[in-house]
This record gives sequence, C-alpha cells and structure tokens, in this order.
Amino acid sequence: MRSSSQPGSRWLRPGRAVVSAGIVGLLMATAACGSDGGGGDGEEGAVVDVSETGDPVDGGEIVVGLEAETNSWLPGTANFGNPGYNVAYAIYDPLMKRTPEGEPQPYLAESMEPNAELTVWTLTLRPDVVFHDGTPLNAQALKTIWDTYLVAPGSNLAANLAEVQSLDVVDDLTVTYTLKAPNAAFPDLLTDPAGWPFSPTAAAAAGPDAGSSPVGTGPFRFVSWQRDSQLVVEKNEDYWQEGLPHLDRITFRPIPDEDTRVSSLQSGDIDAMQSLRQSTVARAREIDGVDNYEFLGNNSGGSNFNTSRPPFDDVRVRRALALALDQEALIEVLGGTGLTPPSTQFFGPEDPFYSEEAAEAWPTNRPDEAQELYDEYVNDPARSDGKAVGDPVSFTYTCPPDPSLNELSQLYQSFWNGLGMDVQLEQVEQAAYTQQAIARDYDAGCTRHGAARDPYYVFQRAFTPGPINVTEFSDPRIDEALATMRGSADVEERKAAAEQISLVLAEEVPVTFTGGTLTVVAVRDVVKNVDGWVFPDGSEGNGTPDGTAMWGHVWTTE
Amino acid sequence: MYVLRRLPSLLATLFAVSLLTFLMTSLLPGDPALQILGAENATPEAIAEVRAELGLDDPLPVRYLAWIGDALTGDFGRSYRTSEPVAEAIIDRLPVTAEVGILAIIIALLVAIPVGMLSAYRAGTRTDKIISSTSFGLLAVPNFMVAIFLILIFSVTLGILPATGWVNFTDDPVQNLRSALLPALSLAIAEMAVYTRLLRTDMIATLQQDFVTMARVKGVSNRRILFRHALRPSSFSLMTVAGVQVGAIIGGSVVIETLFALPGVGRLLLDSVVQRDLLMVQGVALVIAVSYVVVNFTVDILYSYLDPRISHGRSAARV
Repeated sequence: MRSSSQPGSRWLRPGRAVVSAGIVGLLMATAACGSDGGGGDGEEGAVVDVSETGDPVDGGEIVVGLEAETNSWLPGTANFGNPGYNVAYAIYDPLMKRTPEGEPQPYLAESMEPNAELTVWTLTLRPDVVFHDGTPLNAQALKTIWDTYLVAPGSNLAANLAEVQSLDVVDDLTVTYTLKAPNAAFPDLLTDPAGWPFSPTAAAAAGPDAGSSPVGTGPFRFVSWQRDSQLVVEKNEDYWQEGLPHLDRITFRPIPDEDTRVSSLQSGDIDAMQSLRQSTVARAREIDGVDNYEFLGNNSGGSNFNTSRPPFDDVRVRRALALALDQEALIEVLGGTGLTPPSTQFFGPEDPFYSEEAAEAWPTNRPDEAQELYDEYVNDPARSDGKAVGDPVSFTYTCPPDPSLNELSQLYQSFWNGLGMDVQLEQVEQAAYTQQAIARDYDAGCTRHGAARDPYYVFQRAFTPGPINVTEFSDPRIDEALATMRGSADVEERKAAAEQISLVLAEEVPVTFTGGTLTVVAVRDVVKNVDGWVFPDGSEGNGTPDGTAMWGHVWTTE
Repeated sequence: MYVLRRLPSLLATLFAVSLLTFLMTSLLPGDPALQILGAENATPEAIAEVRAELGLDDPLPVRYLAWIGDALTGDFGRSYRTSEPVAEAIIDRLPVTAEVGILAIIIALLVAIPVGMLSAYRAGTRTDKIISSTSFGLLAVPNFMVAIFLILIFSVTLGILPATGWVNFTDDPVQNLRSALLPALSLAIAEMAVYTRLLRTDMIATLQQDFVTMARVKGVSNRRILFRHALRPSSFSLMTVAGVQVGAIIGGSVVIETLFALPGVGRLLLDSVVQRDLLMVQGVALVIAVSYVVVNFTVDILYSYLDPRISHGRSAARV
C-alpha cells in the first residue's frame, strides 16, 4: 500500500510537541536515527499512510512489538523509554497530556490552574475514578505517591521534581503543588511518569516487587509479565471513560532486533510495532497490508562540544566545525535521505516552538567561511589551546560503537580534517560514554538532542549548571530567556523566548545537528484509530508522538 | 574413584571462574550508580550516596568475599536495574536457554551422525566432497545470518513457524516447540558442520582398523559394521567437542536470543552488561561458567565410560 499511488489515503499530519523520551536522550548517542542502509525514496517528513478507519469495533486482541524491554513499571524506579510509554499508557492515565499545539491539557486530571504568581498550581481530580485494585484516586493517594515514591531518596524523578516545595491536600479531590519559584512550564512535568498515578496501596503491599505488578487507573489492567518475553493487559471493565477501551486484550512483546520485529509484523506474529530507526521507517512503508503512523518529532542527532576545554572554548572553532559540515551527507550516512530534513535547532519544523529565523541563522555547509574562521584561530598568537601559531587544532571525537555512528564519525572526521584539523576517533561503549560526558571528560562526541519537553525544561537542563549540561555552555541571554519562559504563561512570549535561545545557539554553536528522527507506529491494516485518540472532553490529541500510541482508543476489525 | 580424583581440579576451576568473573565485571568502565540514578540525577553527592549504599567503594577483596560468601548460600543479590533477585531471574530464564541449546545439539547430532558416517563410508567420492564442501560453507556462515535467512523462509514466506513469541513449555508444549525450533536450528547449523567433519575423520580411521576388516570378512552387513562396530570408537572426539561446543552454543545464545526475542540467559547477560547491572552480570556469568565446567566434567566421565581404558589410567594414545 505505497500511498504515493493512492494520494487520497495519505495526508500530512502535523507532528507537534512530543512525549518525552527523557532528557537523558541528550546524552544518549543511541543510533535512533541511525541506519544500516535504509532507503529513502519516500516522502520527507512525517507521513500518515493508513487505510479507512471506519466505525469503532469492540472486542478482539492484538500483539504489539516493542523495541526494548522496560526495567520496571513503577514511576520513580522505571526508566520509561518510548517502548515503555506504550505500555504505560495502557495501564496508567497521565494527569496531563499534550495537545497538538504542544500545551499540556488535563487528561486524568479535571483541571489544573495556577495562582497569579505561577507558584502554586491547583490540580483537581475527576470524581469516582478508582485504581484497578479498587483504591480510590483521590488527593491523599496523590500525596502518598508523591511523598513515598516520586521524591523519595533514590527516585529517578527526584531531581526533576526538586522545584516543587510540597504537594498538599486541599480537599478529597484537590491538591496544590507549591513551587520554590514561579514556573509556567510546570504542568508539563505531569505529562511524564511523575503524572501517572499508581495505586499506593498496591505498591505498598508489593514492596520491592511493586515495579513488576503495576496497578493504575488506565484502560487496561495488568495481567502478567514475563520479562523480555511478554506483558499482557486486559480490558478494564470499570474504566472511567465511557466506551473505552475497545480491545479486550493486548500483549506487548519486546523484540529488540529491528529486522525480526519487521519480519514478525510481516508474518502476522504481531499486529503492531513501533520504531525509531530510519531504515525501519523506510522498510515499513514498503510492506503491503501495513498502515504507517509516522511522526517527525523534535529528536535529532548531532554533536556536543565540551566548551570547558580548549579549543572548544573559542566560538571561532565551534562555528568552523559546524560550517564545515554538509548535513545532507550526514543524513545520508544515517539512512535518513528522503525521510528527514536537516535539523537546525532543538525543535522539529512542525513544533510550535520552531523558529524560521533560527533555521536561517544556523551555520552549515559553508566550507570557505569555516576555513577562514579556522585559519584565524590557528594563526592567533593568543589561541586558547596554547599551541604554536599554525599548528593544527587536535581533538578526539567520541561515539558509542554502532555501525552507522561509526560511519558518521568518519564523515565528521573527513570534513574537519579537510580544514586542517587533526581529529582522532574513539569508540566508547554507551555506559562509559555517559559517565565521561557527566564528568566532562571528553572533547567532542555524538549525541541525540531530545527536545521532547516544554522548551523551558529542555534548555534549562541543557544550558544551565547541572549534571547534564555536558557542553558546559551557558549564556546570560539564555538565562534571561529562561526567566521569561518560567514567568510567563503567554504562548507568544514564550515562543519569542525560545527563539532567542535558538538564535544564541546558532551564534555560539555549543552543539551541532544532523537530521531529525522520524518515528513510526506500523500496524496491520486491521488495527484502526492508532493516532485518533482524543481528550476526555473530545478535543483532538497529538497522535503518535515518538512512536507511542494511546492503545485504549485503538480497535481491531479482526 | 575417577570422579573423586577429578573433583579437586573441578573446584579449583570454579574458584578461578568466580574470581575472574568478579574481576572482569569490576573492571568494566561505566558507573552502575550513574545507570541507577539516570544522568539527570547524577550529582556527585547522589552518585557517592548510591555507591556507598551498594558497597561499590569497598576494596575489591572485601567486595569479592561478600559476594562469593552470599553466592555460596544461593543469594546472588538483587539486580540494580530491575530489583528482582538475581537467582530468581536466572532460574526463570535458564530453561529457555537450556531448551534451545539442547534442541540445537540434538538437531545437530541427528543430522551429523548419519551424514558424517555416510561421508566417511564414501570417503573420496563425489558424495563425500559435496558433504565436505557444504559443511565448510555452513561453518563459515555466522548464526545471525542463518537466523535471518530462516525467518525469511519459514516465517515471512511460508508462514509455518513464528519468528518471535516465546511460549513456555508448561503453557503449551506444541507451541513451545514451534517457538524454539528456528532459534535452535540457527544454533545447530554450525554445530552440525563441526560434528560432521569430526565424525568423518574419526570414522575413516576406525574403518581402517583390523576389527572392522575382520567384521567384513565375517560377512557382517555394512549397516551393522557402521552403527554397531565403528560408531562408538569413532565418537570420542565428537563427544569431547560437543562438550566444548556448549560454550559456543551459550555464546551464540546471546545473539540468537536477542534476534528471536527469547527470554533466555544470553539476552539477560547482554542487557545487564550494557546497563552495568553488575550483580546480574556476575551471577549470570558465574552460572554459565559453572554449567560449562560441569558439562565438560560430565563429558569426561562419559568418556571414561565409553572407553574404559581412560578410567584405568591408560589413555587411548598410549595403547
């Protein structure tokens, strides 16, 4: 069902602000945008290529293939990646969820309102919602979850939630989040695991095993989990949203190998799958009888420069490094040609915070200008790396071992050596690489810029002092714009502030970009309504951001 | 008696294995504390706190003694990553790896024994040459390539076997066998080639021995000579190598279990290494090493049973 021959069945769906892949993505030089030879004869950007949806059908079951297993299902302990979000949205409901415009809107919550200073956020719950074990979802439950799990020592959410001074119960269905400082972006945190209520009584009873028997309020109840094999959920008959879910049962299977996952979809072993690999996106487009729900989010490949080390402390060198690159060639190596456009900032072209001005300002593919800047630096008697005038700049470029990243590194090397630099390549395994980055013990290296949150959180974590400001870059103009974003709920004002930061980055270049990451949820064409989820009030949802679907809204005609 | 004589060296090997396993995992770069906390939470204080809690700052000998002491009582600790008990995780997954591995060896032997015998019986003929060159060819193909090829044929094209989706034996024995067949076949192909080559060589030598000539003279049928007289004395190398090749099968399971999405020990090991789940890596590596040593020990014992000269202290070479 290549849709190019069926123009009527294809339309472009705007990819909007997306579900977080975790800011850890900033450090993760995973090969998400990598490829082992993916083609690129299709259309560039997100394409939704699906058969007729028809009317909802209740009943039936499906098997969903995921690219990885998740270590636990308990927020605070679990490291939810995109595969984990798929399961989580079946078992849990998010208090808030993003609209196509990228704004968090109440989902499980009934309302979320700030005070005038944006320091106290009042969240009201819907009445009569219960967890799968019968425990009522009320204000006290939220407080217990918060105090006992989410901000407890050892919680992997504690640092994210440190801006909250306290969560207080106002009445049975109302809590307030009191922040240490104003923050207009705060509701965004509740779209992620910190905003997925789980039964505090079930978690307490399960003790250290709470992560393997999740109890939420979601459309499906947890049935069983055999790690690395399958997780089974079944219809929650008492679900609070009338008419949902449609399916009786879903089996989630982690199938890490891309080829096997696609083959399993082709052979009908599974009914649906997700992928972040460009080669898989291209391959899924070619399979008959498969509907593709693609999404071009904000994730992009790229490089980090350690600005605390010479020569990266000099903007001339950083700009020369960016200007020397031909992004299209880099994308070709990653298998994204024809699928993903070059990236110029932390937002994809369909994101509300994308800036045309920053896109034009981004320095790229002007080798002559790069040469001038480089020559100016190496001939500067006061050059920051302390070398003699005329000596080449030398540094090590680090990447985790992956065939496509390996090729990518070699291409970087050839562009930069072309200027006269002496670039050494080094492969360091992912866990060790993350440690080097945290310790700032690297020169430059590959990364994935995962701007999958409110821009305030994205930039605050990446460019203010803290563990994951791995470029060690900061700038008063960024601080000023961040203050604006914290203090203003006005969308236009916040967009202008985000643009200001994107422009500073285009000028100062602490990072570079390759291309965006196109993601897909591919399903057999009997599986319907994969991107058609809506908010409880009926307003439109944001589709399948980063290969994650709201399975409660999906049905099968088989 | 033979068993008792070999026991001290078995224990020494197991001690060395446990020590090496521990040292190698401790030398892996990458901080487990960082993996547990996640990069965002990785302030120096938080890292120090987690490291202290896990005892990662203690001297290596102290850590080794604590770990091996607990391990000897069956307590391998809890996974840093999933917080499940390591011993439980291994016990859950061992049957999957063992089933696929044993099935692979059975398939390999079922094919290799008749083919190897035929090749030896027809040594030098066209049949022998075809078998030999096919064996070399199969030896050269890596198991993941075989796996992808098998999936394409049996799952995607013919649709008769599942590419993924492990079914436990206790849930449905037939489906269990179906889900184990392609992974086992992927592991079996290379083994098949090794076994065939070995059996052929040994059997050619056996067929030239006096007792075979005598049997022929007495008019014993070829089939009887091959299966009753020649197979047993020709299978010593095959058995030794089958024992040693258990290591190759376990190594192969790391790749094959990931490809076929099987919940086995190989995949657990790979994921744990990548995530720096040190206690899990140590536990799994130790169990794998112990299984390997024990299998080879058992092969030695069987060997002495097949060739009584060995248990009497006279090796075949000295006869």
